Amino acid sequence: MSTLRRVGLYAALTLAALTFIYPFLWMISSTLKPPFDVGTLELIPDRITLDNYRTMWVRAPFGRALLNSALVATTITAAVLVLGSMTAYAMARLRFRGQPALNAITVVVLLIPGQLTLIPLYTLIVKLGWIDTYAALIVPYLFNATAILMMRQFFLQIPHSLIDAARMDGMGEMRILFSIFWPLAKPVLAIVAIFTFMGSWNEVLWPLLVVREQQLMTLPQLLTVFALGGGAGSLGVSLASAMVLVVPVVIAYVFLQRYFIESMAGSGTKG
Amino acid sequence: MPSVSFEHVSKRFGDTTVVDDFTLDVADGELLVLVGGSGSGKSTILRMLAGLETVTSGTIRIDGRDVTALPPRDRDVAMVFQDYGLYPHMTVRENLSLGLRLKKVPRQEIDRRIAWAVGILGLESLLDRKPKQLSGGQRQRVAMGRAMVREPKVFLFDEPLSNLDAGLRAQMRIEIGSLQRRLKTTTIYVTHDQVEAMTLGDRIVVLADGRIQQLGRPIDIYRAPANRFVAGFIGTPRMNFLEGRIHHEDGAPAFVAEGLRFDVPREDVASVGAVTLGVRPEDLLIPSPSDQRPSTVTGRVVLVERLGGITHVHFDAGPHRLMAALPNDTAVTVGDDITLGIRTERLHLFDADGRSHL
Repeated sequence: MSTLRRVGLYAALTLAALTFIYPFLWMISSTLKPPFDVGTLELIPDRITLDNYRTMWVRAPFGRALLNSALVATTITAAVLVLGSMTAYAMARLRFRGQPALNAITVVVLLIPGQLTLIPLYTLIVKLGWIDTYAALIVPYLFNATAILMMRQFFLQIPHSLIDAARMDGMGEMRILFSIFWPLAKPVLAIVAIFTFMGSWNEVLWPLLVVREQQLMTLPQLLTVFALGGGAGSLGVSLASAMVLVVPVVIAYVFLQRYFIESMAGSGTKG
Repeated sequence: MPSVSFEHVSKRFGDTTVVDDFTLDVADGELLVLVGGSGSGKSTILRMLAGLETVTSGTIRIDGRDVTALPPRDRDVAMVFQDYGLYPHMTVRENLSLGLRLKKVPRQEIDRRIAWAVGILGLESLLDRKPKQLSGGQRQRVAMGRAMVREPKVFLFDEPLSNLDAGLRAQMRIEIGSLQRRLKTTTIYVTHDQVEAMTLGDRIVVLADGRIQQLGRPIDIYRAPANRFVAGFIGTPRMNFLEGRIHHEDGAPAFVAEGLRFDVPREDVASVGAVTLGVRPEDLLIPSPSDQRPSTVTGRVVLVERLGGITHVHFDAGPHRLMAALPNDTAVTVGDDITLGIRTERLHLFDADGRSHL
């Protein structure tokens, strides 16, 4: 590639990157500005203050919401990985009656938009008396069709002789799954974990429906209620609460980005 | 007592019968080869013995004990797979020891067995490597080591050499043979390669369509194939087949086919109708003053393959394409007419059903 073309390419890519990152940087900087300066487009604050964060923390139970979110998202992610991989293993590698039907149903579930099941699911939760409980936040998400299909697809690529060898070595199905398939499936498990965790962490609509008690609210829910309900009082405080929401996801991404990029590149270079 | 017995074992998948009424005894310490094309049921038989596949009907015994319904780990067998089946995320040492650890074998005993196996297989320096850091031949040795450390009653090999290149395959074949003779463990070896079958097996079972076609010592099967399938399957280069009839003219039997006729001066040939005559390429000879054959076949050479040691000459005798394996100094070229003597004492005749007639 000629130097000129390379310069052009990098300029275009830098511009694109800036377009994406500018609003984020602006948000970070705005949370650190005093109220009067928040409206400006500058990235470097003249004076740095943590007042916005203090105000936010005092006005609503963000600490508790952070814990709630962590509990809900972690439980769901763990369940999706464990239960999902068990289902995927059975679908990919075991022969049993009704297996084709199970495969078909899983795909169909994938095709139904979440909004469609929202109301029936809500009715069910009310009937079960689960309104204002963690169960309402967690149980509907324990199984995830996308995750199952992703893991099933990966498991199908693992040579059958490994299962045979493991059975000859005396392993049961659970052991084969967790001590042979899991180590080999790390990339896909990481992807499923990231997507599930982010999806659960960012979920607003469902918690708004089933939880009204402030002590049980998840972070995005509390944030929505707080910011839209006028509790924040100023843009700086609203943005500060948004930061609390974003930071854990960014941290998770930093730790798992190797797998993230790997799966996006879609390379078949597993050892 | 036989080491392994199959008693009327059948396997069906839905309406498809993969193995049909398979009965066989394998002697203690024997190396038995199951050989056949794809779909012959050879791997299924092995997997049923391993416990990886259920048995539709019949009984399998190991040392007299009925193992038909036992899971693999309780059968005291060990298996080597075509693509090795090594755990990619574990080192060689972990691959070798996993089965023993799961069986709660004491640490010292595991170390002793691993040291013994890697010593025999020459894997000492590779114990801390992962499978992907090994060559094909090394992986194959690790797979064999994993079977050895279990000290099983029976070794099972499922096409273990198919993934190796030709040179390595020949070397590993020799290694497996000498290893088996050294350990004297009953071994059942599945392959589609008749060279492996001929060279390794104390006895061979030739399979087709889930049925035993012939069982016997390699050389016996080579010399007296029970039917046309076995005749065509065992032996390289492949046997020539001619469709024709046996006539008795003045009391002497002769083989007659379209554009072809020669005497078959043998007393054991009765007059039958349509037959398939089989003649191996090495049983067609260039006549020499010391070796004059009364029965000959004449044809025009269409292809000459010089392999170095021998020369394969393909020729057309009338409408029939035949091949002869001749000495390397044979001076023939494409287009020549040649007349070859036939070793009539080694001819094979098969009746209309493909069964051997002699």
